[in-house]
Amino acid sequence: MTETPHTHVEPILGDTPEQVQGKPRSLWGDAWEIMRRRPLFWFAAALLIFFIIMAIVPELFTTKDPRACFLEYSRQPPGPGAVFGYDFQGCDIFARTIHGARASIMVGIFTAGFTAILGSILGTIAAYFGGWVDTVLSRLADMFFAIPLLLGGIIIMYTIPTPPGSNYLLVVFKVVFALSILGWPSIFRLMRSSVLQTKPNDYVQAARALGASPMHVVGSHIVPNSLAPVIVVSTIDLGAYIATEATLSFLGIGLQPPTVSWGIAISNASALGYIRQAPHMLMFPALFLSLAVLSFIMLGEVIRDALDPKLR
Amino acid sequence: MRTPIRILTAGIAAALLVLGTTACASDGGNNDPGTSGGISAITVRGCTPQSELLPTNTNEVCGGNILDATEAKLIHYNADDASPELDIAESIETDDAINWTVKLKPGYMFQDGTEVKAHNFVDAWNWGAYGPNAQMNEYFFEMIEGYEDMQCGDADCKEVPVADSMKGLEVLDDYTFTIRTVAPTSNLTVRLGYTAFAPQPDAFFASEDKLEFAKKPIAAGPFQVTSKTDTEIVIEKFEGYSGKFPGSVDKVTFKIYNDSTAAYQDVVANNLDVTDLIPADYLVADMWKQDLVDSAGAPRWGTKDTGVFQALTFSPAKTDPGMADIRVRQAISMAVDRSQVVDIVFNNARVAATGWTSPVVDGFSENQCTNCVFDPDRAKELLAEAGGYPGPLELWINGDGGHQQWADAVCNQIKNNLELECLVQATPDFATLRNKIKARELKGIMRAGWQMDYPSIENFLTPLYATGASANDSDFSNANFDRLLREAAAATTNDAANLLYQEAERVLDQEMPAMPLWTQQSQYGFSTNIKSIKMTPFSTFDFGSVVLAS
Repeated sequence: MTETPHTHVEPILGDTPEQVQGKPRSLWGDAWEIMRRRPLFWFAAALLIFFIIMAIVPELFTTKDPRACFLEYSRQPPGPGAVFGYDFQGCDIFARTIHGARASIMVGIFTAGFTAILGSILGTIAAYFGGWVDTVLSRLADMFFAIPLLLGGIIIMYTIPTPPGSNYLLVVFKVVFALSILGWPSIFRLMRSSVLQTKPNDYVQAARALGASPMHVVGSHIVPNSLAPVIVVSTIDLGAYIATEATLSFLGIGLQPPTVSWGIAISNASALGYIRQAPHMLMFPALFLSLAVLSFIMLGEVIRDALDPKLR
Repeated sequence: MRTPIRILTAGIAAALLVLGTTACASDGGNNDPGTSGGISAITVRGCTPQSELLPTNTNEVCGGNILDATEAKLIHYNADDASPELDIAESIETDDAINWTVKLKPGYMFQDGTEVKAHNFVDAWNWGAYGPNAQMNEYFFEMIEGYEDMQCGDADCKEVPVADSMKGLEVLDDYTFTIRTVAPTSNLTVRLGYTAFAPQPDAFFASEDKLEFAKKPIAAGPFQVTSKTDTEIVIEKFEGYSGKFPGSVDKVTFKIYNDSTAAYQDVVANNLDVTDLIPADYLVADMWKQDLVDSAGAPRWGTKDTGVFQALTFSPAKTDPGMADIRVRQAISMAVDRSQVVDIVFNNARVAATGWTSPVVDGFSENQCTNCVFDPDRAKELLAEAGGYPGPLELWINGDGGHQQWADAVCNQIKNNLELECLVQATPDFATLRNKIKARELKGIMRAGWQMDYPSIENFLTPLYATGASANDSDFSNANFDRLLREAAAATTNDAANLLYQEAERVLDQEMPAMPLWTQQSQYGFSTNIKSIKMTPFSTFDFGSVVLAS
C-alpha cells in the first residue's frame, strides 16, 4: 500500500469553516455555494435556459412557420412584421432562427452526452481493471484521438451520404454519430486519470476491505468522486460541438435542408455578394450561434472554477 | 455532396491564384495588355479543358471556347443571331434533304500551309465516327449513312466494327464531296457548323499519337494555339487565315481560373480583360453592374441570350400515377410565377420561357406555351377538378449544379399557390440524377436542362420528346407529334420545316409532358482595356469584333 494522496479528496473530508458549523457538505454542495455567488453563472444559466426553451417549444417565441416563404419578400431588411427581416427565399429570419435552435442544440447535447457516457464508461473500466484492458482501450482511444475533429467529421459525413428525403432525426443523429466517434477519447483520458487518482483513496480501500463488490465500489465510491472533471469538460465541449455542427452544415455536409439550422442559414447567407447586399441574413443566425456557444462555454468555466479547489 | 469539398479546394486554389496574380502584377509594374510592342493582346478567363483539343472529342465549354476560335468549319454561326453562314463551304446543296453535295472554296489554308480539301473533311469525320477511337462527339455523325457499321459490337470494343468509313460520304474531287443521310435531314446545313465537323489536316492522319497532335492542333481558323500549360492557353492570330471571319486582336491568353469570383474580382481590378462568368451573389440587386463601370461611368458589362433551356419534366404516368391527369400537370405549370423567380433568384439572368425552345434558334416562336402563363386561381381549380395530387410533390434536382435556390423558390410557389406540400430532393451529383431518371425511379417533377448542339428548333424537340428518343424522360409518345417531326425533317426549305416544328411544339402545349421554366442569358464583364466585345449565342466570345480602348 502506497501513501494515500490527500489533495484531491480534501474538500469532501472537509476542513472548511462551514464544516465546523456542523452541516455536512459534499463536493457539489460546496461548488453550488461558490457558483451561486457569481453573476457570470446566473448570466450563463439564464441564457442557456432561454436557448433550451427555444429548442423545446419554439412556438412560444414565434407563431410563424419557418417554412412559409414568399419570394416577393426576398432579402427585405428588418422591419415591421419581421423583426429580423427576410432571407433569400423570403422566409422570416426570426422564425427560422428560433426554430434553428433545436437542431443545433440537439446536436450539441446529444454529442456531449454520448461522448461523456462512452468516455466515462471506458475510462473507468480501463483505470479500474488496468493491465491489458487498460492498454487495449488506451491505444484504441489514441487512434481516434489522432484524427482531428473537424477533418474526421468531414470525412465521415462525406463518405456516408445522406439519401434524399431522409428523416429529420436521422440526419441529426448522423452528425451526432460522426462527432461522438471522434470526441470520446478526450473524455476517456480524463476519466481514466481521474479514476486512477480516486482508486487509492482510503475510503475506496475500506469499501474493498469490507468485501464490497467491484460494481458497488465503482458505482458508489469511485465514479461519483471522479466525475467532476468530465462534467466540466463536457459542458465546455458542448459549445464546441454546436460550433462544429455549424461548420459542417456551412460546408454543406452537416445537416441538410429542409432541416432548419443555424449552420445552414449561415451557409446560405455567406456569399460575399450577399453580405454586401443583405447582411441581416447572416447576422442574426450567426449572433444566436455565437451566444449559444458562448453560454455553454461560460457555464463550463464557472463549474470548473467552482469544482477545482486549486482555483479557489 | 461532393461539391463542398471541391469548393473548398477551389477556394484555396483561388486564394493562391489571387496571391499569384497580385505578385505578378506588382513586380511587373502594370498589367496593361493593350498594344504593348505593337501587338494587341487580351486575357480571358479560361478553365481546364477536360481532354486534349480534338474537335471530335471536346463537348464541354473549357475546350470548346478554345476550339471555337481556332477551328474553321463548313459553316460559321453568326456571332449575333447564330444564323449559319458559309465559311469553308462554297455551297451545300440538296434536292431531297437526303443527298447533299458540298463544294469547298479553293485556296482555303490550314495553319501548316496545306490546303483544305474534300478528303480532309471526309477522313476527319470517318475518324471521329469510328467506334474504336471512342470520340465523345461521335453521335453527331449518326445521321450519316453507314454510321452504324462504324460502331463497336460491345462496350469494350472487342468486336471490331465492320467498316472503317461511312458509305454515306464520298469524295468526288479535291473540292467536292457528297453526304447521304439515313433519313431526310432538312437542317443538315445548320448542324455542319458544330465543332465536331471541323476538317483535319494531312498531318493529323500522319501523326502516330493523335493526343500529342492535339496538344498543338493545326486547324484552319483565324487563331492558332501557340502554347498550352496548366495555367494558361495562348492562341495567336493566324497570318495566313483564308476565311471571312478574321480575329481583331493578335493574341488571346486564356488564364485558367478555378473560381469565378477570383476571375470576376480580377476583371473589376483590371488584372484580367474578360470574364464570361459573373458569380451568382454579385448578380443580386445588379451589384455587378455597379462594380463594372469605367471612370466615366460607361458600362463594362454585357448580356447575351444563349441556347440553354431549363424545364421540369413530369414523371411518366407509369412511375407516378398521380401525374397521369393532364389537369394536374397544367395546374403545377400555372402555379409557378416564372418571371418572379427570374427576377429575384436570377436577377434577370434568365428569360421566362413561353415555349419549348430558345429564342436564339432559327424557328423560334413566342407564346407557344399557354400553360406557362401564371394563373394561381385557374391552377387551383384545375387541381381540384382533377381530384388533387396524392402526397407531397417531389422536385428532383442535382445538388452539384447550383440549382437549390430556384428549386426552393419554385417549390415554395407551388406550395403557396396550390396548397400542395412540395419537397426539393437533391441527388449528390448530376450522374446520379440522370441514372435515377433513366431507371424511371423518380416521382413528381424532375429538372431537365438542355444546351443546344446546333442552333435549330429541331434540336430542342426531337431528342427530348420524340417517341423513344434518348432524352425523353417523360416517356412522351404522340403519333401526331412524331409525324410532324418526320415531315419537318423531310421539308426542303428551312422555313417550311420551321412551320412544321412550331406546329409540333403546339402539340406539346396540349399534352404537357414537361413544363418550360426559362432560357438562359449569359453575363460577361470586361476591363477598361477593352472598348467593346461581343458574346455569341454559344456563350463564347467573338474575337473578330473586339475593340480595344486606345
